[in-house]
Amino acid sequence: MDTSFWILQLLNALQLSMLLFLLSVGLTVIFGLMHFVNLAHGALYAFGAYVAATIAASMGYWVGLFIAPLAVAVLGLVLYQFLIKSMRSSGPMAQVLVTFGLIFALLDITRIIWGDLALALDVPEILSGRIDFFGVEYPAYRYFVMFVGLTALVLLNLVLNKTQIGAMIRAGVDNDKMAACLGINVERLFFSVFCVGCALAGLAGAVAAPLLSVVPEMGLEILIPTLIVIVIGGLGSLKGAIAGSLIYGFVQTFGSVFAPQFASVVIYLLLAFILVTKPAGLFPAKGG
Amino acid sequence: MFYQTPLRKVIMLAYLLICSYVAMTADYFGVEILTELLILAIIALALDLVAGFGGMVSLCHGALSGLGAYVFATLCTKLGLGAGESILITCVVTGMISWLIGLICSKSHGIYFIMATLAFGQMAYSFVFESSYLGGDNGMAGIPRLDLTPISIDLFDSTHFALFSLFCLAVSYWFISKVLSSGLGRSMVGIMYSEKRSRALGQPVTRIKANIFGLSGIILGLAGALSAQHFMFISPSLLSWTHSGEVLVVVILGGLGTLIGPIIGATAFVVLKHEISNYTDHWHLIVGIILILVVMGGAKGIYGMLESYIEQRKTKAAGPERVLSEE
Repeated sequence: MDTSFWILQLLNALQLSMLLFLLSVGLTVIFGLMHFVNLAHGALYAFGAYVAATIAASMGYWVGLFIAPLAVAVLGLVLYQFLIKSMRSSGPMAQVLVTFGLIFALLDITRIIWGDLALALDVPEILSGRIDFFGVEYPAYRYFVMFVGLTALVLLNLVLNKTQIGAMIRAGVDNDKMAACLGINVERLFFSVFCVGCALAGLAGAVAAPLLSVVPEMGLEILIPTLIVIVIGGLGSLKGAIAGSLIYGFVQTFGSVFAPQFASVVIYLLLAFILVTKPAGLFPAKGG
Repeated sequence: MFYQTPLRKVIMLAYLLICSYVAMTADYFGVEILTELLILAIIALALDLVAGFGGMVSLCHGALSGLGAYVFATLCTKLGLGAGESILITCVVTGMISWLIGLICSKSHGIYFIMATLAFGQMAYSFVFESSYLGGDNGMAGIPRLDLTPISIDLFDSTHFALFSLFCLAVSYWFISKVLSSGLGRSMVGIMYSEKRSRALGQPVTRIKANIFGLSGIILGLAGALSAQHFMFISPSLLSWTHSGEVLVVVILGGLGTLIGPIIGATAFVVLKHEISNYTDHWHLIVGIILILVVMGGAKGIYGMLESYIEQRKTKAAGPERVLSEE
C-alpha cells in the first residue's frame, strides 16, 4: 500500500461524495424549505438515469445529460401538483407513506417502460481516457463526476448566499410565515425549489448512469446512503449536505479498505452516534 | 386510549374462527398463504403498539423481526438448542435489542425518529448481510420446527403450523391488549397526546417509551421465530427496509391504533398481493396507488372506516334526543 494507492482511494471517496452531494442537496433543501420528506427522491434519480440512457443511445451522451434533469423536473412538477401540494400540511408519517407508495409505483412504471434488463450507457468519447494525477491513472469520467458535483456546490452556494433569490429561500427556511408577510411568494418559491431539487436528482442519475448499470432498483439502493447523508449533516442545510456526503464517502471508501467486513456497519454506528449526541445532525438548518 | 369494545371482541372471534376454518379446509397453497399473513399480522400488531398508541412510527419493525428470525436460527442450528428454549430466548433477546433502540431513539421525534429507526434497521441488515458466520448473502438453511408431538401436534404439517401461528397471533393480541390496559400503556397514550404534559406530571417519558418499544420487540421475536420456522430458511432480505415499510403500509391499510385493524390490513395485503400476482407482475404499482389513495383519503384504514360507520349509524338510530340525554 503505497502513496498511489491512497491517492486512488482518496479520489474514489471524493467521487462518491460528489455523487451523493448532488442527490442529497436536492432532498435536504426541499426538506428545509417545505418540511417535506420525499422518499421517492431515489426513484427520481433512477428515472433520470433511464432517460439519460435512452436519449444517449440515439442522440449522444451530452443531449441525454441535458434532457434528463429537465425530464425529471417535469415529473417533479406533476408530482407536486397532484400529490405533494396537498400533503404539505400532513404529518411526517403520512408523507413517508405517500412517498413510499410513490416508490412502489415509480419502480413498477420504470419496469413497464424500460423492462427489467439493465441498460448500459457508454462514457462519451472525450472522457473515456485516463488522467495522470501524481502518478495515479484515474478515469477521466470520474473526474468529470467530481467536476459536476463541485460546480453544483459552488453555484448553489453562490445562489443561496449572494443573490436575492437565495436570501428569499433562506428567509423561507428560517420562518416561512414571516417571509410570506414580507411579500415573498413562498408558495412559488417552494415550487421552484422543489423542481430544482428534482432536476438535481435527475442530473445525478444521468451522471451516475455510465458508472453503474441502470436497473430499476438503483433508486432504492441510493436512497439509504442519501438519507444517511442528510441525517448526519442535518436536514435542510447546504453545509450539512456537503459535510454529510464527504463523511459518508470517506468512511465508506476507507472503511472498506481497513475493515471490509464492517464498512457499512461503521457508517450506521457513526449515524447512531450522531443521532444520540446531536439529534438534529451536525449542521441543523435552524439554530437548534 | 384502547378499549376492548364488543365490536372488536366479535370481529376478533370471527377472525379466529374463519382462519381456523380456512386452515383446515384450504389446499396446501392456501394454508401457506394463511401462515404468511398470520405472521405479518403479528408484526403489524407489534408496530401498532408503538405507532398507534405511542406515536413512535418505526421503520425498523420488519428488520427487528428478521433479526429475531436470525437469533432463532443461530440458537437452533449453531448452538444446538431446542426449538422451545430458542423461541423464549429469541423473544428476550429481540425484546432487549428493541428496548435499547427505543431508548436511543426516544429523544428524537417526527421525521428524525423515523430516520433513526430506519438507520438501526439498516444497521442490522448490513450486519447480517456481511457476517460470514450468519451465512451472509446466502442466508441460513436447515432450521427446525418446534416439536409438539407429545401433545399430538405435528408442526411439519402445514395445517397444524397455520393453527399454531393463529394461536401465536391470539396470544400476541391478548398480550398487547393487556399491556395497553396497564398503567404503562395508559401512560404511553398520554405521552403520545402530549409529551410535555406527561413530563410535567412527573412521568419518566424516556423509560416508558423504551419499555413499550421493548415489549413490542418481544412480540417481534415471536414473529421472527415463527417466520424462520415457516420457511425453514432465512435470508437477509427479511431485514430489508422495504419489508419494514410494508409492515407500516399494512398497519395504515387496516387502521392505525385499533389492534384489530392491522390484523385485517395484513390479511387484505397478503390476499391482494397473491390475487394481483395472478393477473399481473406489477402488483407493486397497484399497492402503491392504493396506499397513496388510502393515506390521502384520511388514513383511517379499513377497520377505522368500519368503526366510524357503525358509530355514525348508532348516533343516527339513537336520534338527537337520546344523544342529548346521554351527555
